[in-house]
Amino acid sequence: MMPKVICCFAVILVVLSSHLPLRAEMPELSELIRRVEQQYSGQSSIATVTMTVVTGHWERHLTMESWSLGRERFLIRILAPAKEKGVATLKVENEVWNFLPRVDRVIRIPPSMMGGAWMGSHITNDDLVKANHIDQDYLFTLLDEDTTEWTILGQPKPDAPVVWGKIIYVVLKDHLIPRQIDYFDEEDVLVRRILFSDVQTIGDRTVPLKMTVLPLEKPEERTVMHYQALEFDVDLKSDFFSLAQLKRRH
Amino acid sequence: MLYRLALRNIWRNRRRTLLTLSAMIVSSALLILCLGVFSGMLRDLLATATEQYYGHLVISARGYQDDRDLFRYFSDRESLSFLSHTDVILGTSPRLRNFGLLSHRQDSAPAEVLGILPEREKKVTGLQDALVAGTYLSANDHDGVVLGSGLARRLGVAPGAQLVFVTQAADGSIGNDLLTVRGVFRTGDAGHDNSLALVPLIWLQNILTLPGQLHEIAVRTNQPLNAAVLAERFRKRLPDSLEILDWGQMLPEMREVVASYDVSRMIIVTILYIATGLGILNTFFMSVMERTREFGVLKALGMKPGQIRWMVFLETLFMGCLALVCGVVVGVALSLYMARFGIDLSGTLTPITYAGGTILPRLYAVIEPANIIIPAACLLFVSLLAGFFPARRAARMQPIDAIRED
Repeated sequence: MMPKVICCFAVILVVLSSHLPLRAEMPELSELIRRVEQQYSGQSSIATVTMTVVTGHWERHLTMESWSLGRERFLIRILAPAKEKGVATLKVENEVWNFLPRVDRVIRIPPSMMGGAWMGSHITNDDLVKANHIDQDYLFTLLDEDTTEWTILGQPKPDAPVVWGKIIYVVLKDHLIPRQIDYFDEEDVLVRRILFSDVQTIGDRTVPLKMTVLPLEKPEERTVMHYQALEFDVDLKSDFFSLAQLKRRH
Repeated sequence: MLYRLALRNIWRNRRRTLLTLSAMIVSSALLILCLGVFSGMLRDLLATATEQYYGHLVISARGYQDDRDLFRYFSDRESLSFLSHTDVILGTSPRLRNFGLLSHRQDSAPAEVLGILPEREKKVTGLQDALVAGTYLSANDHDGVVLGSGLARRLGVAPGAQLVFVTQAADGSIGNDLLTVRGVFRTGDAGHDNSLALVPLIWLQNILTLPGQLHEIAVRTNQPLNAAVLAERFRKRLPDSLEILDWGQMLPEMREVVASYDVSRMIIVTILYIATGLGILNTFFMSVMERTREFGVLKALGMKPGQIRWMVFLETLFMGCLALVCGVVVGVALSLYMARFGIDLSGTLTPITYAGGTILPRLYAVIEPANIIIPAACLLFVSLLAGFFPARRAARMQPIDAIRED
């Protein structure tokens, strides 16, 4: 029932708005955000990523290999440096596990630690779990628009279990890729900004290969993820995302 | 001559003397016991806060205690040797602290992990006496852990079980290693029971890639209530990068509790002093009053008023001193008994955690010199006062009136 109603409504909207130029080419906002949030995963993907984390006290460079399937499953494993080689994270639906080869143990991340840093970066475990639900947990409105980009405001739905008080996306109309995402806390303070750059076309997709996460209360800190290799729509089955696979060492 | 007369007077009427003496002995002994029990309750409250975790004084890098930032560490080679040359210090414990994830099979829990040297930590905190299972860390343990009962329950572990600790090391890498549970403690303070774990210092230094580094040195002194003064004394000798805090600065709520406790104790103690003082005053006053006739005779025989006053003063002084010696002996004996055995009230009361400390359900006394000297001095003063007024009255009277008085 509901989808039909929404469909009808969308058709009416499209018909109505077709009189306005520019608007016509814009997809539904939550659909657009879903595309933005899943730009790296697609139906399935395999990638090699380098991650640089800079804080006031140290700087580290990691090389990782990652696999993803849909929005609910992914596996990522550290290839370098040698000290942490084999450390891996598995996400299946709302659960996150880490594998620690040094002690040969798998650890489930408890709900209370979901806000903690993932692999020492400025990305939290929650980002891994909840980012894929943003289009379901938030309501979106168009704030601004010019010839090249849309500015979209996301506000949490009343009962949604969200982390952020407000999110503002700047999405390029060309290829529908994000340029910047601002995250606000409950007090409406801008706490984090993600910038996207190095836009490349891979197969039939165009994605920004470089993602820079800036925790704004610590101006000297940042995490940069740079995709070295990215392959979409590969042959991966859901049983690949298992604890046994998590523990496999290369 | 007056001396001998005074002594002879004391022994002349034994019943009167014994009555007066026993009144004073009993009241001073009970007063000393009472003050000891009050101090015991305060000591319990303070001890559960400081002697189970914080220590009385803590030396750390400037600002560390505000946010417990991993990177505010200092070297264990800092010149802090002056600490060991002071007799007020009972123990010092170097520590390194980290917040990370403890995990056992499917269960994980965030924990505060404190790296310690077991033999030195024992001299500062008393967690080894709060064990409910297993043993404390031994001096040469290299991968043991002693954790709070709530944490052990959440992880489903008992002594012998293996835990994984994961955290972010100081170089940004993922620090992780195995630990073996040696013991489980229960302090009654839910905060510590649910999150604290003690591990060997060297082990934590390795995990965090901070060899030879410390976050704090906890200090135990023999004058916990005087910690602020001691902190001031040591402050001058610390290197500039370090600071020393007393428990009052770390636990401001506790300082307020102690202050309000002191006020209520002072009110009760004042009432006690007045009650016992009046009792003694009454006995001494009456025993001198009833001798008005005798003083009249002495005066008629040619004794000067000053000599009478002096004689009565000597009498009350002798008796007061004798009574206080006995009273103090009995009071200290009772306090010692209460300090040693105490009275357990856990059947009727449950422990109350309050401002970081816990009021334990027991009556227990501590012996402090002030709790003996002050009541003794006060009661002696009261007894001298009690003798002085009737003596002065008698000394001033005409001999003939005094002799005639009934």
